[in-house]
Amino acid sequence: MTTTVSLWRLTRAETRKLFTTRAMPAIFAAAIALILVAVVVQAAVAGQQGTPPLDTDAGVYKLLNIGVVPCRVMLIVGILAAGGEYRHRTIVPTLLASPRRGRVFAVKVLVIGVTGAAFGAISFGIGLGAVVAELSAHHLHRLPPATGSLYAGAIIASAGLGMIGVALGALTRNTVGAIVAAIAWTILIEQIILQAIVPGIEKWLPTHAAVTLTASPAAGHTLSLTTPSLLLAGYAAAILLVASRTTLNRDIA
Amino acid sequence: MSAITISRLTKRYGPVVAVDDLSFDAHPGTVTGFLGPNGAGKTTTLRILLGLAAPTSGTATIGGLPYHKLPDPARQVGAALDGNVFHPGRSAAQHLRIIATAAGIPARRVPEVLGIVGLTDAAGRRVGGYSLGMRQRLNLAAALLGDPGTLVLDEPLNGLDPDGIRWMRTMLRTLAAEGRAVLVSSHLLNEVSQTVDDIVVVSRGRLVTQGPLAELAGRGALIRARTTDPARLVDVLLAAGLRASIADGATVEAMAATADEVGLAAAAAGVPILELTRHDEDLESLFFDLTDKTDKPDTPQEALS
Repeated sequence: MTTTVSLWRLTRAETRKLFTTRAMPAIFAAAIALILVAVVVQAAVAGQQGTPPLDTDAGVYKLLNIGVVPCRVMLIVGILAAGGEYRHRTIVPTLLASPRRGRVFAVKVLVIGVTGAAFGAISFGIGLGAVVAELSAHHLHRLPPATGSLYAGAIIASAGLGMIGVALGALTRNTVGAIVAAIAWTILIEQIILQAIVPGIEKWLPTHAAVTLTASPAAGHTLSLTTPSLLLAGYAAAILLVASRTTLNRDIA
Repeated sequence: MSAITISRLTKRYGPVVAVDDLSFDAHPGTVTGFLGPNGAGKTTTLRILLGLAAPTSGTATIGGLPYHKLPDPARQVGAALDGNVFHPGRSAAQHLRIIATAAGIPARRVPEVLGIVGLTDAAGRRVGGYSLGMRQRLNLAAALLGDPGTLVLDEPLNGLDPDGIRWMRTMLRTLAAEGRAVLVSSHLLNEVSQTVDDIVVVSRGRLVTQGPLAELAGRGALIRARTTDPARLVDVLLAAGLRASIADGATVEAMAATADEVGLAAAAAGVPILELTRHDEDLESLFFDLTDKTDKPDTPQEALS
């Protein structure tokens, strides 16, 4: 058995796992519904109470601020994909079929990364279609210049945060613990503590990298697509490396 | 060659010694009962054997290799650990297809093993709605997916109804008759005594005894001899190295002996034997004698007093 064959089998098995429970399709469907509702609501309030109107770039960027949904959703999906193995004890048959733990979780990271990219593309595409429909309804037929970058950013951020989610799930071996850790990092550690202690560090932190990829240029972010993409992949790899040296090799109960 | 070899295996969790210098073998074509009370270290030993836990010292190998070094392990070893290892939202068929895909086992094996364990009709139902017996069967189906030569089953009779227990016993005998090595853990000897060829008994992580079940049963045999001279017969049997005493009047009891040993010793000494009978001690009582070294109360009444 070659390593390539083994990796291909694992990839197919991990992909199958994602789509054989009701939770994942339900989460994806709910996320797309949320995007559509957000576009409709943003279009309805555009030009009111100080919000920019739809015939300005700033107004359309408000509608296009939809990449934030798939990337957050993929963080949760990644955590569930890895932590769920321990929660339901499916880690036992998983490791009996393929005992090399590092390989199993590396493939999981890859599968969630690809799924995240696909989901980012599909969900942003559907949202973009809704935006175009809203604009057409208002006899507007022009998208702002950064639309393509936002589309690419949604794809990259969804893949990156999905991979970080898997790594967090592998590190904590607990879905609830990983979700709490992610929220605590985003709100408490990254936004309050680290930025207060080391001003300017935010652009090197994962949450900020995801925001940079998905927020409109009007938010004044300075990083290119490349740097935050590499940052997210680096964080995923680093967390998985820590997991592989610590929790991943612990006894399975 | 042994299919499974446990050699001087020790596992410590902090100050607790779960497995203590344990050694035993399991052979192809036999069902080996791995027996001991709850907490004796059986599941820990099996987890180490299957690469799910690391030993503190010693080795646990299958065909001479640790589990993680086996090429295509699921095709060589089928394992079913006690408990729920299923996503409740997946069907039995989906659960098995995922394992088959990861292990490189053809998808056609999924309906085959579901048929073998009698779950064909329930294959599409979500496992969350399965009874304990159905989950045990699904566990066995997963173990059989790769048509392995070695099976490791942790408490496979737990929670089964009488029909299920009979079905599982027949299945285990059939699997061994096909030449497979079957290692079955249980905390009840009676539960597996009709199924196993060899037994390995552990208590508090240590090996208590191992060997063919028939030998253990023989160890519990009591021979009763009715004679015209009980005092002389006792002397003769003691001189022959047997444990013997007068039970009542004309009857002498010899412990852990065979009828042949008693009869021949008496004949050689010229002591007349009027009747010779064998009484087997209840296997379960013998098992408790072997393993019950704890300070647990003997009876519920004693515990409550």
